[in-house]
Amino acid sequence: MAESNRHMRVEILRFDPDKDEVPKSQEYEIPVEEDWKVLDAINYIKDEVDPSVSHRWSCRMAVCGSCGMMVNGEPKLTCKTSLADYEGSIKIEPLANFPIVRDLVVDMDGFMDKFRKVKPWIVRAKERAEDMENLNEKGTYSQSPAELATFKQFSMCINCLLCYAACPVIANEPDFIGPAAIALGHRYNLDSRDEGDRGRNEIFRGEGTAFSCSFANECSEVCPKNVDPAAAVNQAKLGAVVDWAKGLILPREGA
Amino acid sequence: MKHLLLKLEPIIWLLFGAGLSIGTMLLTGFVIVVGLAIPMGLVDPSALAYPRAHALASSWLGRLVVLGLIALPLWKGAHHIRSLSVDFNGGDRDGAVGGLLYLAAGICSVLGIIAVAQL
Ligand code: FES
Repeated sequence: MAESNRHMRVEILRFDPDKDEVPKSQEYEIPVEEDWKVLDAINYIKDEVDPSVSHRWSCRMAVCGSCGMMVNGEPKLTCKTSLADYEGSIKIEPLANFPIVRDLVVDMDGFMDKFRKVKPWIVRAKERAEDMENLNEKGTYSQSPAELATFKQFSMCINCLLCYAACPVIANEPDFIGPAAIALGHRYNLDSRDEGDRGRNEIFRGEGTAFSCSFANECSEVCPKNVDPAAAVNQAKLGAVVDWAKGLILPREGA
Repeated sequence: MKHLLLKLEPIIWLLFGAGLSIGTMLLTGFVIVVGLAIPMGLVDPSALAYPRAHALASSWLGRLVVLGLIALPLWKGAHHIRSLSVDFNGGDRDGAVGGLLYLAAGICSVLGIIAVAQL
């Protein structure tokens, strides 16, 4: 790689759970290339300067969702964020609102629990064996392009967690199930093949406290895939309210 | 309190959402007509003379609209202030603040219903 004459000061938040009481920041002065992304700078530091720096990444093309970090205080996919957008120095920290495992790596377990709560798969009322009349000749449930269009946008999430790092409610209320999980639950509620909306609506109304969302819209601002989780959350609230009102009028079996 | 609020959350949110829409649409229109159009002479003041306005407001639809204008923004305000207090409280949704605010909005809504019924 040709040595460039542009240099940049990169400040990285370091934390080693075996040694450190609190995270501390460390500065690196490195040569940078014009076309580098923020991730390239971190990789350069790890490869050439300080192999002890820990961070997550994989695809380098904004698909895997593993390279989310705070860049100058804003949640960003580092493989999608150009260094050229920053002057002189840059500060990289692990995603806000998550416990730090080490350096730039955060603990996603809490999120994964929330994620599972919304049952992010197609739920059918009947067992498959009794559901045969609804299956097409390929053994799958048919769906028209129009039905697909109702939820497609909400299915583009790559679980990068930027929305959780940006959400002011998550920062305050750790129980709030959060933008990505609600968007995904809502995606299945909208899916014509799914019949699990009652259970998800109960989660939204109950322990997931979807109504805690104050519609700050920060999640949609930072979403790198234009999923618009804020829209999903608010549609999900409406869905949960309608479902709740229906429950008042129509008696429910098993309720 | 927390449990009750969690249970009532859907209806509170519905009233809040309705208040938000009323606040942005109806109230804006109301202010434009009463606050701007009439003083600027764009609308004939006699269009909203008392007997006419009273007849309009005391029709069934009129009563509903007036009640909406009185009650729903109260819920919107209560919900906003509660969100603010939750923020300042470090995310505690259990505070009595929410309960008190909604109680106030509820009492004023009932007073609004009584007032509208007597139009
Ligand atoms: S490395 Fe896969 S999204 Fe950035």
